Amino acid sequence: MISLLQSEWYKVRKSNIIYILFAAPLVGLLIGIVGGSSVFPVEVNQWAGALLMMNLTYALLFLPLVTGVLAATVCRYEHQAGGWKQLLALPVTRGKVFMSKYLLLIMLVLVVQVLYLGSIFVVGIVHGFTDSFPMEIVWKSILGGWVATFPLVALQLWMSILFKSFAASFSVNVIFTLPTILAINSEKFGPYYPWAQPVFMMNVGGDTSEFFFIPWEQLITVVGGSFLLFFIGGFLYFQRKSV
Amino acid sequence: MEYIVETNKLTKRFGKEYAVEAVDLRIPKGEIYGFLGPNGAGKTTTIRMLLGLMEPTLGNIKVFGKDLKRERIGILKKVGSLVENPSYYPHLTAYENLETIRKIYGVPKKRIADVLEIVRLSEVTNKKVKGFSLGMKQRLGIASSLLNKPELLILDEPTNGLDPSGIIEIRNLIKRLSKEEGMTILISSHLLSEIDQIADHVGVISKGKMIFQDTIDVMRRQSQKKISLKVNDYERANRILISNGMKADFSIDSITLPEHHDEDIANIVRVLVENNISVYRIEEEKRSLESTFLQMTAEERGL
Amino acid sequence: MIGKLIRTDFMKIRRKGIWFLTVLGPFGVVALQMVNYGLRKDWFIQQDIYSWFYYIRNVIAFTPFALILGIVILTSFMASIENETNAWKQVIALPVTKWGVYLSKYTTLAILLVVSTCLLTLFSLGFGMFLGLDGGIPYLDLIKYCFYTFFASLPVLGLQLWVALVSKNQGIPITLGIFGVILSYMAYFLPDWLIWKWPSLDNQWDEPIINVCLGLAVGLAIYLVGMIDFMRRDVK
Repeated sequence: MISLLQSEWYKVRKSNIIYILFAAPLVGLLIGIVGGSSVFPVEVNQWAGALLMMNLTYALLFLPLVTGVLAATVCRYEHQAGGWKQLLALPVTRGKVFMSKYLLLIMLVLVVQVLYLGSIFVVGIVHGFTDSFPMEIVWKSILGGWVATFPLVALQLWMSILFKSFAASFSVNVIFTLPTILAINSEKFGPYYPWAQPVFMMNVGGDTSEFFFIPWEQLITVVGGSFLLFFIGGFLYFQRKSV
Repeated sequence: MEYIVETNKLTKRFGKEYAVEAVDLRIPKGEIYGFLGPNGAGKTTTIRMLLGLMEPTLGNIKVFGKDLKRERIGILKKVGSLVENPSYYPHLTAYENLETIRKIYGVPKKRIADVLEIVRLSEVTNKKVKGFSLGMKQRLGIASSLLNKPELLILDEPTNGLDPSGIIEIRNLIKRLSKEEGMTILISSHLLSEIDQIADHVGVISKGKMIFQDTIDVMRRQSQKKISLKVNDYERANRILISNGMKADFSIDSITLPEHHDEDIANIVRVLVENNISVYRIEEEKRSLESTFLQMTAEERGL
Repeated sequence: MIGKLIRTDFMKIRRKGIWFLTVLGPFGVVALQMVNYGLRKDWFIQQDIYSWFYYIRNVIAFTPFALILGIVILTSFMASIENETNAWKQVIALPVTKWGVYLSKYTTLAILLVVSTCLLTLFSLGFGMFLGLDGGIPYLDLIKYCFYTFFASLPVLGLQLWVALVSKNQGIPITLGIFGVILSYMAYFLPDWLIWKWPSLDNQWDEPIINVCLGLAVGLAIYLVGMIDFMRRDVK
């Protein structure tokens, strides 16, 4: 399993994945610097104020969409000239291949989150923030956003195994991501929409008494439930896929 | 002789590497030209330049006596090609794949059925190409290259992925097209055995350079048996044979005799002995066409 | 020749789900308004903005992302048709010019997007009529704003097509596309010279027609740059 994970990493390392990973801090800088920072009253911690704005765009659009690109990238070699055949003819089980691709992906998403954290610091320096850095809140949102992508990554991995072309799996991603813009404004529907969870879990203005800004029940049922659904679906599909 | 394809110092450089260097390709009209060379020798790059897919770094190309750069479209109307692994649209059927090309050529629709018949794919006309075997895709590629009844057919490794009976089928098809339609055909391969039975002319390319280009008969002649002599003084032996008007190839450490009429050999040996040359050995060298080809390309590779 | 090429391009996009997406895009934009008005109808009435004027504004607020995402997806699909099995060598070895091939791809995409835009106009009109909004139906404004957005996004189309056609790895144009979507989402904060701002039809002079003109002019320029780059590249 470890060796499989290493070989997966080796394969993607040579692709352009590094550019995709660095898109995250770039987006962070872009929305942090261009978006302005002085929209909040003085009482609000400057960092928290900036984060409220940055995280919204980041978690609403960038994070869900980029998981799809990463998923398609880790399946790219296999879709070229009989790669699935070659990989599955090795002494590995399909289950382990799926697991190692999934693990690699969530680690990549974690890297994306950490790089984004880096961009938050830079934004603060650029704007000359003097308030204390709210470490606890920031970590909560970085990790929370990461956890919220688990189901999204599972679905995108499924779609990336299913479709050869990036455009096809990306379309599925877009179809589910765009309604989030409305979902987050709806108190009835929003909490149940898996693609809206990154926004809630990175919302630094959320309920700070909770461990992850959202109630545990919501985390377990919506994030956990959709994760199980998409992960098992993709896993079973991959077991039966003829290569 | 009328040449259908004529290149002049054709050169392609990628960075510092010369993929093709000063190649003068000459393909006579109506002949089957076998373009031979090991993998990576520059065959496909040359072919890509012939089709205008790549710009030559230097040199020029004439096809049908016209300059390729200036009259590319007019030329390509009369050319059919299959470059390397076949190109196809997996989500379309065999018929639809050909239809996308037929529309461009503007040939009658019936031609699609004809070419599918020629490559024996009529039964899968309406099946998606996604499920085709490599051999079937290859044959579909050949079918598309025939759609416009080309005057020049360029096939790059056309027997790739075909089974032995498929290879024979393609070989017969190429012979038939040449004989019945009078097509000029360029067929590339890394295996001599694939083309020595059908080609009239051969070009051998190695490390980007054309190292042999002539009729297959000349290549055969070079490969025939040779007699080589070992003597004590090659320089003197050389002079003696020349002054006696005898045919032989000389080098610093051997004399090779192209003709091996028993009587001629006897004469040469007698003349040498009479002139006090010590003849140590008289050996017969046998070389197959294949080993000539291998030797040609190996010498270039410096092995 | 261009006509023939476009016809073959339309043939090649069969069964790829491209037509489905062309219809889904505008439907999605209007569907978002269905949800929006379904949930907040009372609020709109209360605020006295239950009118065609605000309805059109709501529709065109979402159109830029949908359009840019549509452009990203369609251009990538278009490129993958030839990229996947390396069919460029077959296409370019036909008696066609390279600029013709490029123009045909661009035109095919533009036609698909025009179809989308027309459908957007129709769907918006239909749902607006269903809502029974206040005031007369501003047909002209509806058509105008839908098509303005399309023209203002032509530079993005040119850029995405160029990058998609020359990239072996479609992750690159798609990542660029994600940037574009985020930029268009933040259009309000962006300087007027950024092409991703233009589909929002917003500028410092409050004259949407400027974005349309810029879209057409810069769109043409980017198209030409992309085409020239495509022409000078060797086909591998």
